[in-house]
Amino acid sequence: MLLEAFVGALFEVLRWDALSFMLIGVVAGFWVGLLPGLGGGTTLALMLPFVYRMEPVAAFAFLLGMHSVVSTTGDITSILFGIPGEGTTAATILDGHAMAKRGEAGRALGAALASSLVGAIVGAGALLLAIPVVRPLVLTFGSPELFMLAVLGIAFIASLSGRRPRAILRGFLAGTLGLLLASVGQDPQAGHFRYTFGSLYLWDGLDLVPVLVGFFAIPEIIDLAVRGTAIAGEAPRGRLGGVGVGVRDAFRHFWLTVRCSLIGTYIGVVPGLGGGVAQWVAYAHAAQSVPPAERARFGHGDVRGVLGPGAANNSKEGGALVPTVAFGVPGSSAMAILLGAFLLVGLTPGPDMLTKHLNVTLAMVWTIVLANVVAVGGSLALLNHLARLTAIRGSLLIPILALLTFVGAYTANNSPADVVAMLFFGGLGYLMVRYQWPRAPLVLGFVLGEIAERYLWISVARYGAAWLARPVVLVLIALTAAVIASTLVQYRRAAARERSP
Amino acid sequence: MKTLLAVLLVVLLGSLAWPASAPAQAQTTFAGRTITIIVGYPPGGGYDVMARLVARHLGRFLPGNPTVIVQNLPGAASVVAANQVFSAARPDGLTVGAVNRNLVLGQLVKAAGIRFDMARFAWIGSPATETTILALRADLPYRTPADLRRADPAPVIGATSVGGSTYDFPLLLKALAGFNLRLISGYRSSGDIMLAIERKEADGRAGSYSSIKAFIDRGLVRPLVRGFASVPAIERLPVDEDLVGDPRARAVMRLRSVPEVVGRPFLLPPGTPAEIVAAYREAFRRMVADPEFEAEAERAGFELKYTPGDQALRTVQEVLNAPPDVVRVFSQFFRFE
Repeated sequence: MLLEAFVGALFEVLRWDALSFMLIGVVAGFWVGLLPGLGGGTTLALMLPFVYRMEPVAAFAFLLGMHSVVSTTGDITSILFGIPGEGTTAATILDGHAMAKRGEAGRALGAALASSLVGAIVGAGALLLAIPVVRPLVLTFGSPELFMLAVLGIAFIASLSGRRPRAILRGFLAGTLGLLLASVGQDPQAGHFRYTFGSLYLWDGLDLVPVLVGFFAIPEIIDLAVRGTAIAGEAPRGRLGGVGVGVRDAFRHFWLTVRCSLIGTYIGVVPGLGGGVAQWVAYAHAAQSVPPAERARFGHGDVRGVLGPGAANNSKEGGALVPTVAFGVPGSSAMAILLGAFLLVGLTPGPDMLTKHLNVTLAMVWTIVLANVVAVGGSLALLNHLARLTAIRGSLLIPILALLTFVGAYTANNSPADVVAMLFFGGLGYLMVRYQWPRAPLVLGFVLGEIAERYLWISVARYGAAWLARPVVLVLIALTAAVIASTLVQYRRAAARERSP
Repeated sequence: MKTLLAVLLVVLLGSLAWPASAPAQAQTTFAGRTITIIVGYPPGGGYDVMARLVARHLGRFLPGNPTVIVQNLPGAASVVAANQVFSAARPDGLTVGAVNRNLVLGQLVKAAGIRFDMARFAWIGSPATETTILALRADLPYRTPADLRRADPAPVIGATSVGGSTYDFPLLLKALAGFNLRLISGYRSSGDIMLAIERKEADGRAGSYSSIKAFIDRGLVRPLVRGFASVPAIERLPVDEDLVGDPRARAVMRLRSVPEVVGRPFLLPPGTPAEIVAAYREAFRRMVADPEFEAEAERAGFELKYTPGDQALRTVQEVLNAPPDVVRVFSQFFRFE
């Protein structure tokens, strides 16, 4: 019965009108992903007025076709230029762009695309499998559990920092700074203004996009200018290709790719964590799973650091659709906009979507998969040309990269203060790179700090101290302890082995 | 090169044809011009969706059939956008502001950062009203306001942040009408509160009727009280201000509700010439009555009701001229954000 409906939905998506709308969406999403600043959520809002007269299946093929490829092509910009193509693809910069600088852009891109496709399929599969069990899946996660999930994510900082005591200390300091930065703005509980310095821009807190764009792109641009070479520097020309190697990497580390896809899916399914989190938790998980002996290379061009976030930022979309479709509660800010589309085409999200309108839900599953197949196929054809961009002289690229960076930051709020924020975090990012402070913990603290604070407040206000005794909370506490302990034990063993060879 | 020439030709022909189709009787004409609606919120929210809906249709009703585009200028609950329209935009009718209905309350309690005077804008009016209601889970035994006064233990009311209507509406009911409620603020969005209600972390919430309607229809929650502004579907619910005896408490509740009559404010910079303002008011009046606009607005979940600019301005003045003792009590409960 479900299978029949599933196959039926495929043919609905393959009807000429739905298919052509999907292809238009994919082409739009391709560019939206490549261009920094212009995000998937904003573009969804711009596309919304076009769906007033469409059939539901065609409308969602159009919208989801766009949205589900944005993270795929966003990875391309992140890897090639070190500028986050999307707010959700910043984590691929750390290792992906480092690979590009070594002349392995092709391999990094191949790995990102292959893992994106795996992620999209896992995410779509989750949407399909979740249909019968969606209520318990979403409802077991109350505010206390969300708080502990954020804490678990923050605990990964230990594995992102490096192994010497000094590096661990720096990692925790950077993470703490991230947590502090997350507290800027009007606090949601009592309405006090924190660190806003009388500026209206800081009322709503720091915006993720200008912060990430500056934090990652500016150091790369300065580095490119200082080196005076192409992005790929003196690397031998022959290695610019290697797309096939990257694709094979995704399957060589297949289990890691799948695990990170599942992490992304689950973060998507749980509403209240937000779209920017999945990539960082997946990145941290990838770091965690690398054997300590090889961890020194992680963050400096390890393909596993590309596969993790590459998979997670795609799989989270399928996951985020689950609560959107089943409860009418969006799993991410882009899904909140998609929710508006349901009403426009005359559907009410909720239990009906799993029975009466099951065909529309299943068509969404197919749209996510097909759109990504098209986007990945299209990108693969272009990749070897794209990878050659890293061989262009830096002095020719820098003006273009600087323009993209400034425009990308400015489009976040159309405010000059966006550019100031971008430059400030650009400076901070440059200093951190220069003095070898790890940047990933800061971002992890920044994206998780707000979540942790929010749900700790609600948990205590609602349950007093009783929230600590909830079973899922206990499991998560144990997991957090295990993550920290295993990292420390690994480091200690590695250190011991070094002392006694 | 050929395509470029073709495009140029089309543009030229288009610009020749455009003024000819404009109504000849109009004094003011926007023929060939582009009008920008500045929205004080990021893409996707209610204010943005309304602005984009208006942008799709308004051009048909303004003299000269101009192009209308939307620009998002988010920040500080649309204070940034209102400041911009008040002092930086030229009063030539080409810049329209679409801002938070509660800005007037922010001005009343002298919130930080406000550099505008709501009474000095050239008001176009509002195409829709918004109504705040309090709804509780339908499986709970609360059906009337009296049940909520007696409720024990106090039902948990989820809220987004201090200052939103999800917070101050139940707060006033608790403080002035003696409802026994436990307010928990800090949820990220009203959707997240709805989910908390599903998993019984919260027992109910306040918010706009349009955002709760789907959950009432599904049988998850039951509406109990509404604010002063209303729509036909919930006309018969008890009104918050009728539940209090003290006239000052009544006035405080009314003060919170009044801006909801002007649910989606559209305004022009101060000093905009009278004939331009008149053209806009006429265009909005006709647009709101237009069947095509009506159909799309209904699908997007809006409760259409045109409040003309002069009436909106009177409402603003009514709020700003509230007696000082009422404002003092109101400021204790209300925090602009």
